[in-house]
Amino acid sequence: MTSKKWCIMFFASVILVVIMYAMFNVLVDPFGVFGDKIFDWYSYNMTNNPRVAKTAYLDKHYNEYDSYIIGCSSTSSFPTEDLNKYFDAKFYNLIMYGADMLDVEKTSEYIIDNYNVKNLILNVYITNGYKYDEEEDNLTRNLHAKVGGENPISFYGRYAFLDMQYSLAKIKSKREDTYLTKPSDVFDVSSGAYDKKVRDVEPIGNLEKYLEAYPVFKNYPQESIELTAIDKTTESINKIKQKCDENGINLIVVASPVYEKYLEYFPKDDVKEFYTKLAQVTPFWDFTTSIVSREPRYFYDETHFRNAVGTMMIGKIAGSDDVYIPEDFGTYVTLENVSEHVETLWTIENEEEYTKQVPIIMCHNIVENPTEDSEISPERFEEQIKRLSDEGYIAVLMQDLVDYVEKGKELPEKPICITFDDGYLSNYEIAYPILKKYNMKATIFVIGSTVGCQTNYKNTEHPITPHFTIEQAKEMVESGIISIQSHTYDMHQWAPYEDAEQPRENILKFENETEIEYMDALKKDISKIKEVVEQSGDELIAVAYPSGKSETLTNVVLNANDIKATLTIEKENNTIIKGLPQSLYCLNRFNMYEALTADEMIKLIEGD
Amino acid sequence: MEKLIDILKDLRPDIDIECQSLVDDGILDSFDIVTLVGELVDTFSIEIGVEDIIPENFNSVDAIMALINSKA
Amino acid sequence: MSLVSIEFIGFVIISLLLYYMIPKKYQWIMLLVSSISFYLIGGTTAILYLIFTTLTTYFAGRLLGKCNKEDKKYADIIKKKKRLIVLVTALLNFGILFFLKYWNPVADMINNTLQVEKISRLELILPLGLSFYIFQSIGYIIDVYRNKYDPERNVFKYTLFTSFFPQMVQGPISRFDSLGNELFSEHKFSWDNLKDGIQLLMLGYFKKLVIADRAAVVVNAAIGNYTEQSGSVLLVAMILYCIQLYCDFSGGIDVTRAVAKMFGITLVDNFKRPIFSTSLTDFWRRWHISLGSWMKDYLFFPMSMSKPFVKFGKFVRKHIPGKAGKILPVSMVTFIVYFVIGIWHGGSLKYIAFGFWNGILITTALLLEPFFIKVKQKLNITDKNKLFYIFQIVRTSIIVLIGRYITRAPRLLAVFDMARITFTNFNLSNVFDGTMMNFGITVTDYIVIIVGTMIMLIMEAIDEYGVGTKKILEKKKVIIQWILLMISILTITVFGICRGNYIASEFIYKQF
Repeated sequence: MTSKKWCIMFFASVILVVIMYAMFNVLVDPFGVFGDKIFDWYSYNMTNNPRVAKTAYLDKHYNEYDSYIIGCSSTSSFPTEDLNKYFDAKFYNLIMYGADMLDVEKTSEYIIDNYNVKNLILNVYITNGYKYDEEEDNLTRNLHAKVGGENPISFYGRYAFLDMQYSLAKIKSKREDTYLTKPSDVFDVSSGAYDKKVRDVEPIGNLEKYLEAYPVFKNYPQESIELTAIDKTTESINKIKQKCDENGINLIVVASPVYEKYLEYFPKDDVKEFYTKLAQVTPFWDFTTSIVSREPRYFYDETHFRNAVGTMMIGKIAGSDDVYIPEDFGTYVTLENVSEHVETLWTIENEEEYTKQVPIIMCHNIVENPTEDSEISPERFEEQIKRLSDEGYIAVLMQDLVDYVEKGKELPEKPICITFDDGYLSNYEIAYPILKKYNMKATIFVIGSTVGCQTNYKNTEHPITPHFTIEQAKEMVESGIISIQSHTYDMHQWAPYEDAEQPRENILKFENETEIEYMDALKKDISKIKEVVEQSGDELIAVAYPSGKSETLTNVVLNANDIKATLTIEKENNTIIKGLPQSLYCLNRFNMYEALTADEMIKLIEGD
Repeated sequence: MEKLIDILKDLRPDIDIECQSLVDDGILDSFDIVTLVGELVDTFSIEIGVEDIIPENFNSVDAIMALINSKA
Repeated sequence: MSLVSIEFIGFVIISLLLYYMIPKKYQWIMLLVSSISFYLIGGTTAILYLIFTTLTTYFAGRLLGKCNKEDKKYADIIKKKKRLIVLVTALLNFGILFFLKYWNPVADMINNTLQVEKISRLELILPLGLSFYIFQSIGYIIDVYRNKYDPERNVFKYTLFTSFFPQMVQGPISRFDSLGNELFSEHKFSWDNLKDGIQLLMLGYFKKLVIADRAAVVVNAAIGNYTEQSGSVLLVAMILYCIQLYCDFSGGIDVTRAVAKMFGITLVDNFKRPIFSTSLTDFWRRWHISLGSWMKDYLFFPMSMSKPFVKFGKFVRKHIPGKAGKILPVSMVTFIVYFVIGIWHGGSLKYIAFGFWNGILITTALLLEPFFIKVKQKLNITDKNKLFYIFQIVRTSIIVLIGRYITRAPRLLAVFDMARITFTNFNLSNVFDGTMMNFGITVTDYIVIIVGTMIMLIMEAIDEYGVGTKKILEKKKVIIQWILLMISILTITVFGICRGNYIASEFIYKQF
């Protein structure tokens, strides 16, 4: 081969490689700009760049939505289910992390011009007062060319000749993808919000423990930031407002809650100016400060409030009365009241109680002459119940806790939960009459598959401690004294009596089981136990974990199946918090055993 | 000539006297050359300067002899 | 501008196009313009140093040239004058080199020893290619002094010699009599040169981007934190460092030579497969050749043949009979040369130690050579013995590796720590238990390093013992050549270019 031929071959090969390279990026499409034909995995693309990938996604799916909520990352905490419920609309959450008002303005214009928009909720955060048109990484933080007006050749060219690591990472992530939220795909594609199924079951209660887990709230950093972009931001909002007015769109502007100490970053005059100018443009709902701003447990970190807070905000805007809303939460700010309102931003006067200590005690079987830790004699049991009653404790059911958390319905001064696991006949024969006598309510967590087993372990030859029947359960539920809840249908098997190669002794996933198999098994179990609970006349809202064990995936699945409270066997007290449903997850329980005297029990549950 | 060959053999016992590229083939390295020059200066009472140290002057026995003669 | 950047490739392409489009008479001017632009892109103040060296050596060269033409009657006076010229020029230029290169390290050293800020650090920029162009132009001055050739009369042509852009980054140190002609003569475009250039360029990028840059990540992570590593991990990191150093340096030189080749200019090679060195002396003949040969011509010969030394040599030969007497004086010069090479690498104590290490080993080997020959005869080992040959290569590799411990250690004293860890806490299992995965690269990257190094070694072995890789490949069928070419381009693209700017999405998002 002559050198000339070789050189031509070389250049042709280089061109070929360049084309192959671009093809690879186009097909894998880690940012979703080329239609993501092969993977169709927009939650990944959105994680790489929410601005670009959401535009690309909506271009294909805008028919499924008629309303949008838009803004920076805190926007994600507005659950679209709540919005859809109150507004009777189909919302899409256009959260774009780090978005400034120019991004929001351009995106709003684009969706109004191109899609059908009924409602537009605009989330304004205090950071919009100083961030505007920032220098942005042009791969991960830029707008789609269609929205931002960039030259399409440079836009598509950039994504075609992307560092191929992005594409390789997408392929690798796909192989490792799980049902649970992973850092590589954090969006819920169909709602547009961050996928928070894991964050929403994160057990939260005791403040000290929370501060250990979230140290930023303990030593809150101090900074000073001037709001230098007020005029530009409000001008952008003004443009959006005009555009909405022209198109007959219902625009709702919301100023989101700010953690109290974060608000101190900003000069008071700047904040007042910001809100005054905002009110001159449009009336808005202001949630900036309230008792919520003072409570770290309502926040993920210094600048992001939890979904639970979003639910309260939507409830407030929609005038709902079935969610908990603190008294000082949310003000509708107009030109008339703005000057008065901005003066109150730094004074939080609401002193309402929104947390409660609820001890939970746990019993199993009641027998004469107990030999095990899980057994207790009728005499000891009665002594304990009597003592609780004497001390002024009022026993409540799981539903009371749920009502406290969801609706803010008050609990008694000294609440206590009495619980039984497994559903033994002794609960009906011995405990039920004693409880009735002292008017103390209790919750029994039954194992669905052994309900009514009098002599034999399920359908085997093996003997069993007798369990009460569904009729007996029904009788107890009807009395209002007892609630029947789930200790799983059949995920608390007694291994020696089971034929299965791998008996399910608890609710955990088997090592050798896929996520899908496990989730299927768990869902089936839930629907079966739901049937049992409903047969007893109760409604399934709580699960006591067999042996107290659970994992994140368990909680995620339970939560998705309307389980509102779960219980462990950790011997500790509980703090439950109004408006924060995850405070009902992984509740702790004190075990009652024969040797525990009433005095000792009181000491235990009162934390001495 | 004899003397020169003796010196070379003493310096590199394995040397091939007929070789025409002693330096280029790396049989004589710079260390050998300097040692050789020292011996030549002593034996033949001549003066050899740095500018004479070029491969051509040391590539063969004849070349070295020519160098010695030019300095004598 | 880095040799591996897209900008550099673009710069070369534009220069090449212009170079072959303009009339051939002006080609050298085009090269000069490219070189000066290249230098200016890197920074504007640095060029003052380049101009200073160029002008001082240019005028010194002209003066020396005049002296060479003067009447031989005044030989003594002229010789003195010439010496003075060389001395002043060399002192000025090496003065700058020493000042820029060693001021801060020496200041640190003194301050650290005294525990007070006695000497202040200076904000010094080390101009690109400083030591290369200074060595190159001082070599030129000495050659003119020796009347090896006439000095260059055209100051612009001479400037091109000192500033030729491909060799500004890491050399090689060229000689005026070979490079000058190539630079100033007219070059017709040649497909052969283009092909050779492209092939060499790909080899260079392969070594640098695919192997060296990967190995560097591990080396920096592991040795930066050497106290936490076990001996085996440290040893692996050091071996990787040797690979990194060779691939980075020789790869860079390949790129340099490739670019020059495309302009029709052949530069001297700086490496000759050092892995196959049979002794430390042999290693230094194969590693950074242009530096070694510079040292030989302009330091070793003049020193060993200077009057005081010749006298000293006579004295020693008289008093110490036999072989030892003959070689002792030259051995001392050898020691000094290697010591200087050590210091050339940098200004801290560890480089002085590195100089000692090389100097002492080589000098000892020279002095003990008669003894070794006897031992070899006793053991009946001839130079043709293959096992002995392998033993020599392994032994040399170990010696070089130890030398690298000295230069790579964060400080001189750390060398002993690193050596202690390597020997006392070896713990071989750590190499395989996942410890190596904590250094920022993945299993794939390790495989790439290993396979890449193997390929390079096989190619070098074919070049060393066989007819040459290039010859073998060129005889293959077109389709095979094409497949190999595609594989090479893809390898460099996938494993070389596509690394770096990528940030995994998890760093951006924190799950709010």
